[in-house]
Amino acid sequence: MASNIWSQEYWALKGDVKLYMWRKRVGDPTRDTTPKPILFLVHGSSFSGPTGFDLQVPGRPDYSLMDKFASYGFDVWTLDHEGYGRSDSTEGNSPISEGVHDLKAGMEVIIEETRQTEVAFYGSSSGALRAAAFAEAYPNHTKKLILDAFVWTGDGAPTLVERTKKLAQWTSSNLRPVDRDFFLSIFTRDKPGTSEDSVARALADTELKLCNSVPTGTYVDMCSILPVCDPTKTTCPVLIIRGEHDGIATEEDLLNYFKLLPTRDKQFVIIPGLAHVTFLGLNRARFWHVMKTFLFSPERVDIQ
Amino acid sequence: MPNDPGDIIGEEHWAKRGDIDLFLFRRYSPIARAENPEKPVLFLVHGSSFSARTAYDLEIPEQGDYSLMRTFAGLGYDVWTMDHEGYGRSTHTNGFSYIADGVEDIKAAAPIVETVTGKHAFSFFGSSSGALRAGGFANACPERVNKLVLAALVWTGEGSPTLAKRAEKIDEWRESNRRTVDEAAYLNIFNRDIQGLTIPELPAAAAAAEMSNGGGSVPNGTYIDMCVNLPVVDPTKVDCPVMIFRGDHDGIATDEDVLGFFNALPNKDKQLVMVSGQAHNTTIGINRARFWHSLNGFLCMPGRVDQ
Repeated sequence: MASNIWSQEYWALKGDVKLYMWRKRVGDPTRDTTPKPILFLVHGSSFSGPTGFDLQVPGRPDYSLMDKFASYGFDVWTLDHEGYGRSDSTEGNSPISEGVHDLKAGMEVIIEETRQTEVAFYGSSSGALRAAAFAEAYPNHTKKLILDAFVWTGDGAPTLVERTKKLAQWTSSNLRPVDRDFFLSIFTRDKPGTSEDSVARALADTELKLCNSVPTGTYVDMCSILPVCDPTKTTCPVLIIRGEHDGIATEEDLLNYFKLLPTRDKQFVIIPGLAHVTFLGLNRARFWHVMKTFLFSPERVDIQ
Repeated sequence: MPNDPGDIIGEEHWAKRGDIDLFLFRRYSPIARAENPEKPVLFLVHGSSFSARTAYDLEIPEQGDYSLMRTFAGLGYDVWTMDHEGYGRSTHTNGFSYIADGVEDIKAAAPIVETVTGKHAFSFFGSSSGALRAGGFANACPERVNKLVLAALVWTGEGSPTLAKRAEKIDEWRESNRRTVDEAAYLNIFNRDIQGLTIPELPAAAAAAEMSNGGGSVPNGTYIDMCVNLPVVDPTKVDCPVMIFRGDHDGIATDEDVLGFFNALPNKDKQLVMVSGQAHNTTIGINRARFWHSLNGFLCMPGRVDQ
């Protein structure tokens, strides 16, 4: 971790459910009060926020997305959704709709701490579904939206075809077990060789210290109730990033979603050499570059 | 984004296609090149109604940075452009300078650029029919094209408001090989999609530049091609990484047409960027900084690594 990066834990409250938040930026905000643009990272179905977005891989630099974007000047936040990581586990299965409530609770902490009400959201996989649904529900809080490893209807998605075969298992419990082999499979199921083996091992080591099961809600949603997002209700600028080998959706599905977005500030980017977990892939620098270019796009000007 | 190191050079070069002399213009900054040796040769391909320097090296006093060539030279690119047959300072022939001729023009220019820069392949940017020329060149000479950026692109032309209007005058375009481009013509080009996305001074500045560069008239071939011969580019035969840049008010194509082209590109290194506050002429609109940003972002993309 870069020595000038400041970090702190926070807790958001969703009713009685305590949600863990993790924040990184350059400089202590109590001393450096210059507002920084806020980037809120939304995790997916199988590992918690800091594990995925602030991963430290022994001997391998630059795997923390939070550190990278903090170094670019962002105030970077993430949150463990209900039932994940350090957040409270409940009897619920933490479906995507609950994730939206989690983000609202997290947003209140961000507003309290930063006095900023509009932030850029990035979500990966079911995190993209949570983020997109949040953008629909709370357009006033969503300045920009980045959807990565996204799926809309799920039609023809190889990963979801496989996942649906176990739908009865996912619906039978609010939790599913996760182990080392499972975490390794996430990085190899689409295209072996698009990530370093040490990354999957580090991720497994980190997450298994926190838990050995995760909620089933997003799996159930992705297998049985898609679409959960309505592109016609997203009004902010949107970037859709797709790893070339990602099996979570077909290109056609994503392009259909893209077409329906009413905003005219929208981008669709496919990156070769990446699979489902773009931000931990070998070619993550290309992913950072695309995301950074979108986030730093100059504001539109109009003749007065 | 504009960064003027203070040493930007403008150089004239000439290529030959048969009996036709083709004017090439280069801008670069030795300081910025030395600081950014990884930046590629960027070859800009003009469209139907402007010669090269009117489109890409326009100077408008007191109005900020309008020269795409200067902007990208300041960023470290080695920037080239050319006047196609019948445009600007290139030979004005009796021909129409169709898109296919434009591809041949670029073929003639490429060895000159290679001789000067030592690079065999370049990044290409084309706008409007310049995108079609650049796309056609990428089809014909893939070994010469590292990356391809297509702005104001039209593929099949189906449903295009601008081309429907243009086709009403197809007999006029065929009757003569040239048409006049003056302040009124440019005012129409800048305002035909929507008003207010270019500055009021732009039509006069473009007309003055074009009069100076090429005498105030341009060939009709690309207009004819875009009205009756589309598609002229085959996306399935474009091998390199591609970015398509589309202004939200551009009437030259429908979203569906552009998405169809994007979807058919076989290379998975591809980006479709739609930007608000832009009409057909993205390079000289009031939101050109947003275009520069996207163009630079695509061209600066880190290279792919493999295990």
